Amino acid sequence: MAYYFIGSILPYIALVVFTIGVLYRLGRWVGARIVHRIVLPPFSSTPTDVVVNIGAEAVFFRSMFRMDKKLWIGAWVFHVALFLVLSGHLVGIYTLGREFVYIGASVSLSTYLSDLLGLSSGLLIMLALLYLLYRRVTINEVRVISSTSDYLHLFLLLGIVVVGDIMRVFPATGIDYAPVRAWVTGIIMGAPVAMPQVPLFAVHMLLVQILLMVFPFSKLMHSLGMFANRWILHKMYLEPAPGMPGITAPAGEAYKPDFGSQAINGGVS
Amino acid sequence: MSAEQVVKKYKQAPRASDADLRKLHCEPVPDDQKVAKAIEYMDQMRKKFRSFVMAMESCTKCGLCAENCHTYLGTRDPNNIPTGRADLMRKVYKRYFTPQGRMFGKLVGAEDLTMDTLEKWYSYFYQCNECRRCAMVCPFGIDTCEVTMIGRQILHWLGMEPKLHNHTGVAMGKTGNHMGFPKAGIVDTLEFLADDVKDEFGVEIRFPVDEPADILYVPSSADLSINEYTIKGAGMFFNYIGAKWTIPSNLLEAGNFGFLFDQEAVMRDNMRRLVDAVVDLGIKKVVWGECGHGWRTYKMYMDSALDRPLRVPVTHLHDEVAECIRQGKLVLDPTRNSNPTTLHDPCNYGRACGMSDTLRFVLNHVATDFREMTPNRQFNFCCGGGSAILFDDPVMYDLRIKFSQKKAEQVRETHVGDNGEGILCAPCSICKAQLYPMVDEHKLGVHVNGLIDLVGRALVWK
Repeated sequence: MAYYFIGSILPYIALVVFTIGVLYRLGRWVGARIVHRIVLPPFSSTPTDVVVNIGAEAVFFRSMFRMDKKLWIGAWVFHVALFLVLSGHLVGIYTLGREFVYIGASVSLSTYLSDLLGLSSGLLIMLALLYLLYRRVTINEVRVISSTSDYLHLFLLLGIVVVGDIMRVFPATGIDYAPVRAWVTGIIMGAPVAMPQVPLFAVHMLLVQILLMVFPFSKLMHSLGMFANRWILHKMYLEPAPGMPGITAPAGEAYKPDFGSQAINGGVS
Repeated sequence: MSAEQVVKKYKQAPRASDADLRKLHCEPVPDDQKVAKAIEYMDQMRKKFRSFVMAMESCTKCGLCAENCHTYLGTRDPNNIPTGRADLMRKVYKRYFTPQGRMFGKLVGAEDLTMDTLEKWYSYFYQCNECRRCAMVCPFGIDTCEVTMIGRQILHWLGMEPKLHNHTGVAMGKTGNHMGFPKAGIVDTLEFLADDVKDEFGVEIRFPVDEPADILYVPSSADLSINEYTIKGAGMFFNYIGAKWTIPSNLLEAGNFGFLFDQEAVMRDNMRRLVDAVVDLGIKKVVWGECGHGWRTYKMYMDSALDRPLRVPVTHLHDEVAECIRQGKLVLDPTRNSNPTTLHDPCNYGRACGMSDTLRFVLNHVATDFREMTPNRQFNFCCGGGSAILFDDPVMYDLRIKFSQKKAEQVRETHVGDNGEGILCAPCSICKAQLYPMVDEHKLGVHVNGLIDLVGRALVWK
């Protein structure tokens, strides 16, 4: 019964809530205008600048790197690991662990690499999450601005990651790619097949679906909000040209004072 | 709670009276309706300003802003952590305008709006210098300045605003400058200053007022009273280059306090004066004086907030000085400014208007011993007076000292004031007004000067 609900009913609820929720949030954002020009340095004066400036923030977390290396380590590693984990799930499950066959590896090597990468990214993301949690609890400033939901988000992510890691480390508790792919395909095709009866897998999927439903109504939307916000700050701006009409500078013209070369133009020329 | 009790509980600037507010044509909302009205105004604002919505909805509470805000560094008050300050409003926003806040309340950090919260808004939104350093460091670029500005706007509509800002707005409406000078007084003062220049620098200069001209120069009115070398420097510069220039008596004010508490009405009223002057005097180009928030207002907000089109370009005085230096139009003797000099980047120049390089280019040509403070340019800290929270009452004055602590540390680290003769160059009227007393409070051994002050002194006349 629980497997049926988590495996065949909840996925559709979660997907609908997620999709409509995200669209609702995006709609709130575009409904309001960019009223004034509130750009920040580095100013963007060409479309390339805009892409570079927003890209540097999105890919390298540039301003965070500049201002707080300790936070940057936790946050950047977490996001990179998250990217690896998500793309690993997608590619690994779709190709049944044979993704590296396409770049010349043997099937067994590919499966080995897939397992290795999956395990290491899974452990990395867990460590990063624990570090971020530790930081939230121990740094006074961060603790006082946190509300309960800030911790709940971390616990939810940790729950998903820890369950996933257990399945990796103890294969007896885990599940193969093939039944997962069959189950996911069923959901996508609108003809759900019975969920594999693996307890930890069911817990893993339950938590993921809760996350999907929480996502649009939480701070996790910063993943999209970041681009919306940077779009305001890095709008293109062109400086007006200097130069005044009708000036002759008669007071300085034709007069070369004797201060030595250093004095004229401050020696900076 | 009585008014006195509130002031004791939260540090608050002296408030404008209902009569004061009516002078700005704003009818204060009675206390028992303030909460309901505030929610209504917030709803309007969130539907209008995307910057505000994004600030309300994207914070992950990473806490990076805390150690990067000088008001928090100076007070260690959690409500002065930029995101903590925005939370005063974010909690209310969540409670009334988000599904999760309506359903889960406190769990997601949502809270009802109460009169007490509004008192906190008044206290903490006027402890924000609107310096945008938090926006600069925020991984998402959340601009807390947008939150506190909108908070101040709502407070203004409710009838809660500082006397200082209100009186300045009223003076601006009456006379076209913050100091309340009438035209006759302006002309007299400028003639007096021209005589002064003759005595001190031995050169004849004129300050044309309201004359048809090519160039309109808009100085800060404080330059006529407390920053006299700034207006003298600008006067010498324009006379030196033989400009056909003039100063408008209807807008003898580079600043625009409307920007700081009422961007909807007062700011636009002030801006309209510029178009009037440009049309009436046949101006071809407007050059802006030393004022940080004012320059941001007229450089960045004019397109979106002006009621009539302005058909001439507006540039900053230092953009023009730099251009003249590049073209070799100025002969400068930097040895006349040989004292150790450091540069305070006014927040609105560095972060909002991209002027960091220009300031350094000019300063390097007019002074011999320039030492950078750290951090500098767009990462420089605010002077602690930003957005004109230049309150003189003991409670707020004490806060001003705390807000300028970081600046004092920065200046000390440059050692420019070690012999007591250093120069702290701060090319912004509000920075100057804040730093004049603060360099004494922190015993920094420096004089506060504008940048054009140093240019004027370095000009070599034939």
